[in-house]
Amino acid sequence: MSFKRSSIIENLRKTQMLDLLSRQKRLDGRALDEYRPISIKLNPIQKANGSAEVSIGDTKVIAGVKVEIGEPFPDTPEQGLLVVNAEFLPLSSAMVEPGPPDEYSIEVSRVVDRGIRESQMLALKELVIEPGKLVYCVFVDIDVLNIDGNLFDAAFIAAVLSIATAKYDKKIVKEGKEETTKVSLPVRLIPVSVTSITIGDNILLDPTEEEDSVHDSRVTITFDEEGRLCAGQKGGSVGLSVEQLFKIVDLSKPKAEEIRALIKKVIGNA
Amino acid sequence: MIKLIDENGLRLDGRKFDELRPVRIEVGVIKNANGSAYIEHGKNKIIAAVYGPREVHPKHLLIPDRAIIRCRYHMSPFSTDERKPPQPTRREIEISLVLRRAMECVLFLEDYPRSIIDVYVEVLQSDGGSRCASITAISAALADSGISMRDLIVGCASGKADGQIILDLSDIEDKEGEGDMPVAYMPNLDKITLLQFDGIFSEYEFKKALDLAIMGNKKIYEILRKALMEKYFKTEEK
Amino acid sequence: MTVVRSKVLPGDCIGEAPPGPIPANTYKIGNKLYTLKIGLAEVEEKEVKFIPLAGPYIPRINDFVIGTVIDLNAFTWDVDINSLYTAHLPSQDVFGRNFSPTSHSLSEQFKVGDMLTAKIVAYDRTRDPLLTVREPGLGKVVRGEPVVLSPSKVPRLIGKKGSMAKIIESKSKTKLIIGQNGVIIVQGPPDGIVLAIKAIHLIEEKAHVASLTNMINELLSKGV
Repeated sequence: MSFKRSSIIENLRKTQMLDLLSRQKRLDGRALDEYRPISIKLNPIQKANGSAEVSIGDTKVIAGVKVEIGEPFPDTPEQGLLVVNAEFLPLSSAMVEPGPPDEYSIEVSRVVDRGIRESQMLALKELVIEPGKLVYCVFVDIDVLNIDGNLFDAAFIAAVLSIATAKYDKKIVKEGKEETTKVSLPVRLIPVSVTSITIGDNILLDPTEEEDSVHDSRVTITFDEEGRLCAGQKGGSVGLSVEQLFKIVDLSKPKAEEIRALIKKVIGNA
Repeated sequence: MIKLIDENGLRLDGRKFDELRPVRIEVGVIKNANGSAYIEHGKNKIIAAVYGPREVHPKHLLIPDRAIIRCRYHMSPFSTDERKPPQPTRREIEISLVLRRAMECVLFLEDYPRSIIDVYVEVLQSDGGSRCASITAISAALADSGISMRDLIVGCASGKADGQIILDLSDIEDKEGEGDMPVAYMPNLDKITLLQFDGIFSEYEFKKALDLAIMGNKKIYEILRKALMEKYFKTEEK
Repeated sequence: MTVVRSKVLPGDCIGEAPPGPIPANTYKIGNKLYTLKIGLAEVEEKEVKFIPLAGPYIPRINDFVIGTVIDLNAFTWDVDINSLYTAHLPSQDVFGRNFSPTSHSLSEQFKVGDMLTAKIVAYDRTRDPLLTVREPGLGKVVRGEPVVLSPSKVPRLIGKKGSMAKIIESKSKTKLIIGQNGVIIVQGPPDGIVLAIKAIHLIEEKAHVASLTNMINELLSKGV
């Protein structure tokens, strides 16, 4: 609750961070491959078809799904629509200005979108009402409420949970009569993203805002349920060696399984 | 034509004409903010956060002898029955202005020359009376940030449905009723800082609606006090 | 003489306004005194005191503060002092009258990201606060862990004649450098620092509790 104005990390903290890293430790006591506590609240927004509030440490996001009827994209007439949009709300950090989404929020939107789309989480073909004319449109809107690093994974978990638990009204024909029934979206699998940063030779999973401010590079990888890589994004302005990248994949894969198990447990208890 | 009040004087959600919807307030929900609060008022779910007072950028906007206050009221795309695109609408811009004016009445802006106070409101779920609920949330967030204020402010609307004056309109009463009067009120100073209304009210009805709104506001004030006391003066005995 | 303590919220009436100047963070309507913030009101006979529990740091001349350099140009360092205004440290304060940008490099002395202990040497409503590091003991902080506390709770951390800070320092074997602006540097062994920070967080949470000193003693005796 400070009045800190800039995103500059104090040199004292930086030295402390690097000193701890040389002993494989982090400022908050975590191991290098450890995530902060993840807390999940399902269905906080009843007006949405599906919603989830997710916190990773102090990073907090809320995602809501709205399913509406509309026209398909012209180049995919036999597929439902999926639109993912993330907004860094100005209330999430002293550094965010109100206005149209900047490149960081657009990056989060697109990385989450690609992860969900490329893993084929949703069977979009099953969302068609009339090919080329009418389809179900799945809008996933993510509000970032408090920024403390690793927005990618928090947004991803919230988006996946909202989609997986969404219920919408579908018109079906039963015994010759048209009736409306509440159904789930056609979810085929649960994808998971894992984000890490490199600081020198060290790889840190789930970076805090402070750790993020000194990263050399940042990598987000999305995995499907068979351990295949479906989407990836590298950020940061320092180059990454191939060796480091393979090491990141090795570290991220088991983490993805852990997170997937958590997500499935939450969905099961819903 | 939907009947909003039945033969027993009960409204669609079972309330009597002078009953408030449930209100719950939590103070200090956004760690990065200087002050913040979350409110549930009926089905409204709203977060308010305050950043500031802080420096003004660009510098030419600053006022030498007091703070500027900026307010942004925004509804999330999933907050309404039909999805609302994220870009600010004219309605959101007008409400931002009305909320800002309500706050200007109560803040000691002269205590913070050459600075700006940013107030952000995000409606996560809307249900009629969201601007009133926003005021209560903003007031809690401002108190949480320790910015000098003359009084707390609370918000509550009254209105008219099926010819009767009622308190705290729900979404459907707002849409289908005959009148809507949001009121923001400073309880200790007994002053109104926001008043809007639309619909047709006789002078008698207008007075009755105002009295009712103030009564509702006084009840919400007690809930707001409890929430602030709860955060600031918690003493758990071991 | 009974002291009546009450928990108050903005706009609460805490008694009759004194004939002379009114306490900070209150205002007067007629002859009644009202509060501007959340805090504790203490009324003893006719004397009214008000202790706020939240609010930004407003610079005061001669205050000892701790800040972080966030920018520098040829003539000044801009320092974030956890306040609504950025403070400035003029180069002459460090290099003396003979300062010239061509012969003196500001970043060699203090870089962006460095933390400094300083004093507020000038401030009024029309301009940003000015700092000095000329006095002995002021200057760059070379070691320790920074912690932030609500500025309104700093007096509680210091305690009567420094008693609270001394208790924490001796029991955790650390040294506390306390800025009036709510920035604190804790120096000492790693375990001691963790314990001292726990104590500071407890003060943040329970500054209003009368038995705080006991709670702090209990916490420090328990250890890490």
